Amino acid sequence: MTLFQSLRGSMKSNAVSRPPRYSAAGLLVKGVKQESWPRVWRDVPLKKSYDVVIVGGGVHGLATAYYLAANHGITNVAIVDKSYLGSGGSGRNTAIVRSNYLTPEGVAFYDRSLELYNSMAVDLNINVMFSERGHMTLAHTDSALRTMHWRAEVNKLQNIDSSVIDPAEVKKLAPSLDTSSDPRYPILGALYHPPGGTIRHDAVVWGYARAADHLGVEMHQKAEVLDILVEGGDGPDGKGSGGRVTGVRTNRGDISAPIVVNCTAGWATLISDMAGVKLPISTRPLQAAVTEPVKVFLPTVVVSGSLHVYVSQTDRGELVFGASVDPFNTYSVRGSLEFTEELAGHVLELMPGISRMRLLRQWAGLCDMTPDYSPVMGFTPVEGFFCDVGWGTYGFKAGPVSGEQMAECIATQQTPKLIEPFKLSRFSTGELVGEKGAAAVGH
Amino acid sequence: MSGEFKPSRLGPQSGEVIDRSATIRFTWDSKVMTGFAGDTIASALMANGVRIVSRSMKYHRPRGYMTADYWDPNGFVQVGDDPNVRSGHRLLEPGMTIDPQNVWPSLDHDVKAANGFVGRFLTAGFYYKTFIRPQRLWPAFEKVLSTFAPGGTVDLDTPHRLHDKRYAHPDVVVAGGGPAGMAAAIAAAEAGARVMLVEHEHHLGGHLLWGSDEDRALAAKMRDAADVAGVEILTDSTVTGRYEDNWVSIVQRNHPLAVERLIKARATSLVVAPGLIERPYVFAGNDKPGVMLSGAVRRMINMYAVKPGSRAVVLTANADGDAAVADLRDVGVEVARVVDARAGENVASANGPGRTVESVTLGDGTSIDCDLLVTAVGWTAPTSLLNMAADRPVYDATAARFFPGGPIDTVLSTGGLTGDGTVEQLVEHGRATGRLAAERSAVAKHRIQAHTARAAPVSGDEPAWPHDLRAALGRDPHPELFRSTTHGIVDFSEDVSSKDLVGAAAEGFDSVELLKRFTTATMGPSQGKLETVNTVAVLAEARGETIEEVGTTVWRPPYAPITLGALAGRIFEPVRVSSIQPWHEANGAVDILAGAWKRPEHYGDPAAEVMNTRTNVGIIDVTPLGKLDLQGPDVPKLLSQLYTNKWMQLPVGSVRYGIMCAEDGVVLDDGVTARLGDEHYLMTTTSSGAATIWEWAENWLQTEHPEWQVHVTPVTTGLCSINIAGPNSRTLLGRLCPDIDLDPDAFPYMHVRTGTVAGVDDCIAWRIGFTGELSYEIHVPSGYGLHVWNALLDAGADLGIKPFGLEAQRIMRLEKGHFIVGQDTDGLTKAPSTGLAPLIKLDKDDFAGKAELGWALDEFASAESKAPRLVAIQPTDPTVVPHEASQIVRAGTNEILGRITSSRMSPTLGRSICLGQVAIDAAAPGTMLTIVLADGTRTTAEVMARHAHFDPEGERLRG
Repeated sequence: MTLFQSLRGSMKSNAVSRPPRYSAAGLLVKGVKQESWPRVWRDVPLKKSYDVVIVGGGVHGLATAYYLAANHGITNVAIVDKSYLGSGGSGRNTAIVRSNYLTPEGVAFYDRSLELYNSMAVDLNINVMFSERGHMTLAHTDSALRTMHWRAEVNKLQNIDSSVIDPAEVKKLAPSLDTSSDPRYPILGALYHPPGGTIRHDAVVWGYARAADHLGVEMHQKAEVLDILVEGGDGPDGKGSGGRVTGVRTNRGDISAPIVVNCTAGWATLISDMAGVKLPISTRPLQAAVTEPVKVFLPTVVVSGSLHVYVSQTDRGELVFGASVDPFNTYSVRGSLEFTEELAGHVLELMPGISRMRLLRQWAGLCDMTPDYSPVMGFTPVEGFFCDVGWGTYGFKAGPVSGEQMAECIATQQTPKLIEPFKLSRFSTGELVGEKGAAAVGH
Repeated sequence: MSGEFKPSRLGPQSGEVIDRSATIRFTWDSKVMTGFAGDTIASALMANGVRIVSRSMKYHRPRGYMTADYWDPNGFVQVGDDPNVRSGHRLLEPGMTIDPQNVWPSLDHDVKAANGFVGRFLTAGFYYKTFIRPQRLWPAFEKVLSTFAPGGTVDLDTPHRLHDKRYAHPDVVVAGGGPAGMAAAIAAAEAGARVMLVEHEHHLGGHLLWGSDEDRALAAKMRDAADVAGVEILTDSTVTGRYEDNWVSIVQRNHPLAVERLIKARATSLVVAPGLIERPYVFAGNDKPGVMLSGAVRRMINMYAVKPGSRAVVLTANADGDAAVADLRDVGVEVARVVDARAGENVASANGPGRTVESVTLGDGTSIDCDLLVTAVGWTAPTSLLNMAADRPVYDATAARFFPGGPIDTVLSTGGLTGDGTVEQLVEHGRATGRLAAERSAVAKHRIQAHTARAAPVSGDEPAWPHDLRAALGRDPHPELFRSTTHGIVDFSEDVSSKDLVGAAAEGFDSVELLKRFTTATMGPSQGKLETVNTVAVLAEARGETIEEVGTTVWRPPYAPITLGALAGRIFEPVRVSSIQPWHEANGAVDILAGAWKRPEHYGDPAAEVMNTRTNVGIIDVTPLGKLDLQGPDVPKLLSQLYTNKWMQLPVGSVRYGIMCAEDGVVLDDGVTARLGDEHYLMTTTSSGAATIWEWAENWLQTEHPEWQVHVTPVTTGLCSINIAGPNSRTLLGRLCPDIDLDPDAFPYMHVRTGTVAGVDDCIAWRIGFTGELSYEIHVPSGYGLHVWNALLDAGADLGIKPFGLEAQRIMRLEKGHFIVGQDTDGLTKAPSTGLAPLIKLDKDDFAGKAELGWALDEFASAESKAPRLVAIQPTDPTVVPHEASQIVRAGTNEILGRITSSRMSPTLGRSICLGQVAIDAAAPGTMLTIVLADGTRTTAEVMARHAHFDPEGERLRG
């Protein structure tokens, strides 16, 4: 599009001077000189206009900004967030990544995400602590085992490293699991996916923020969007279908921008409503918890769909637990007692030896659920207003690839093939995405 | 100083809680020691001269007791298979095996202490900045890094010992048994409320316990008064959380039988009275063994008779510090210097070339030899429970601590949390709070009752809401003392220093939340109780702002960490069995776990069971089948809403099959429903769908159509269900059913009758044909299940009757081409794909999934349809049974066209048979498919014209 051809020409100069790189040598020099490192991202005043304003400073918003700048030379970009960077789902998820999905579309999408995660440390020059420790989905019933076989067979044909293993192999990979026939829900086998693992979610946030900052993107925290400015639409105040976005109103004043991207979670519908765009999304909490640290004993990620639990142990020795979404709509991120009780019961069914470990902290994150458990990405009926929302329980896994594809979508004004299935219009034409089966099976 | 000081036991103290007549032997770090009953592990270790109890997380610095209570970040020990035990809290028990944690190879000589020398390179978050290239080395680095995980060791053979739960419905829960908390409990109970008083420590009394003799006498008197007033007293118990509507969790650790008991209390009012937590001071060397807080020193001396040092320096900013000076002098500790912060004096560093404190440098540069440095610089207000009720604490610079933000109707606070005062003032405030809590509880209960439809009507007008007329406690001025002129440790469990925090803030992690995430300060096991305020203060200093401007973090539940054992309780996960299960087990059944149920998979030879059923007669226990009793005039409307086909005209005595879809058109369940009477129906669901469909039906009734008159009763376990199948089934049933006319004309296929079976009244029998044979399914009251089963076996002995299990049933249904929801369909399969498009009636008003199924049917009919088709498949080689989930691919490629969803060797046909989902261009009858087998080899198979491999016309079952 012409807008961006001109942008690319004019915005090259926006990049800031190259900051010191992170390395062991750098640590050594700073240590000797007792110097501190420069700011991860600059603290600059909010301007009156940008080429692109991204609402939401989580992994999706930051990645979109980074790839806009890195891949397309669009650098006059501001990210506005009502809280601090990574304060939403990006900092509340359980940081599990995998690509053993069920549909070819799902596999292609998440495999690209895993690729980007794999090279992220070098690409962004920050150790995101990607721990390719393997990912095990347990089967406790015949039917679950059949599903695992199905996923493994599909994955094999797509060259994804994924296979069904028997209880003895499960025991070898995770000795803390009770693989005997004693439990109420005995472990009959597991889908094992060696390339899956965990990653330090905060480091991903900071890595993208730092890299985007180096390219000229601005990060504005505590900048809350109060309204989205649209003109010419057929709804009230000129909003809605047929309209064209002109900027955003924030608690720090109006910003004009021809492109506004909704990269929020939890409040995605409220932000889109401001532009007159209705989203078929309901918001539900997903709870998580962490224990006190103990010496490392669990080397892989363990998921049990039947018992609604996934668990991994951080390098710091804490067990991180997640569950399935709560069955009600709310914006509250408070945890419940019932969640911890059920979680503990199920975890002890899996690993009876850890009854003396102590739950240290519980929290909740908000999940934007769509009817087909797939995201809404790309164009909306309002020109210049883009969405990358509705990520349910799996937004973190998809962060890098979403950013990459959204950036391409915005820069080329074409929907990239990889995200074509996720267009908003599918809900009125009946072309729902078929990843529900795969996304619903857990983490 | 010459010779390292060792703490020791003092002579009897007037307030001691130890029983010197009861000696307890235990081991510490493999050394045998003794202590007394009443000792905590910490007091026993100190009495035995132990000064170093742990090593710090990152630098493995030696650490000793600092707060000597539950929150002491240095006092984590391993007790047998119990990791991370709070030694400042856990009582000593005979034979305890206690070991230090986080030491390598030993407490005294820790090799990882070398990290201390390179500490300047290992600043907070250093790991983000290194190990980036070469990437292939990161896994190795990660392994090393993970050996630094702090904490104890989990013994994977630890048994899940007895844990219990209890529900309670008190009017008032008081969290904290200090003077104010006790007074609140007594006053509330005297006002007529049912009160639970929960104290974290082992004794009621709070700070009175380490105060004067008069203080202790008051504590004893109040304890007795609480008893007399009928307060339920729980010591060694912690209120761990406050959730919606005062749903309060309490962990009781001193239950006589259970290791721990989780009490879940719906408290009408909650009184928060946890007192205050003394805050450490940040200065160089502040984590050296020998640096202790004033409260710790006073508890050690007065309650446990332990001498914590021989020559002390005391930094004091308040009366508690002054009292510590007096206590130390009383027991013969030389107080070398009292450093009075109120007079502007300060401590700059605690020094010593050795591992413990040997001298202290004051703010003016003076150096004083000592082996104990006591600090009393102020408090942290543990407002966690109030935060969980949405309160946000507010900082008061004059008093140098946070206070509750504002009053909440049914969550009140009292004691040190709310202000300062004499013991009398605290008690008076507590009493007023207790009375108010009791009054509000009474009004709140009145309201709940008045607004609960089914409760007995309440008499009288609603009483006025009791106003908060309490006289507020004062706030004593206190110097703001967080960090000295030097840098020291802020988070002891995470080894984060004030210098780390300043550096991180300069890097841009300059909001409390970012700082916390980047440095991990406040994220360790003590949950910020000792660290949060100092973290905020250091950040404020770094930003040149006030503490109010910086704000604080949100305390999340739990208040204190809870064991998974306590949360799990007994773990109640029952297995369901039918009332016939004893017979199955006595007769060689091999069981299978299927969802909630355990049931016979077979009795030895499933193929023989199939052949016998096809030849003679077989019976199967199908009790797990989901069953819902539906009554009321609007049942047909509900059925029409749930199923895709029509139900308004089902005659009495008839049975109809239907499928249910979710709103996205995906098949949710299937089954038959019978009309037993004018307004009486019995619905069956799949075994695994029983609970889901009940909820689904209730969801429609309660949220979408509350005007429909339908009563749904799940009767899955109330009725025992038996399927009788095979050519001889009519003869057999005829021998047991005197009052049901089984003549095919009187009782045709897909009809239902009620009557007597084997002498049991009110049985339901219907004719359906999952197995493809003439068959009757009977539902009898559960208690008679075994009787009817035995009667059938007796009556059918000459007819060749044999039981058959789930596997034989699965084979027979596959021979007949009947699909199983969840096996032959999945989370993506919309109804048209099952081949049952004729059962989707779009001309109905509404039904679940209608809109989506409209699209789905159009899509399905188009030539480019992407929807899979369920088809019957027969491998070319009749001896090859492709495993379920085998992929069907385009010949010569890896392009997936579908998969085998069910496969078996058919005993009836003597060949392998399958059902599978395939794409439209592979679904035409006669298409040759390529199937990838488990070993990677490929085989071919043919798509059949009809789903049924056997008796496609259904002559057998209609007979």
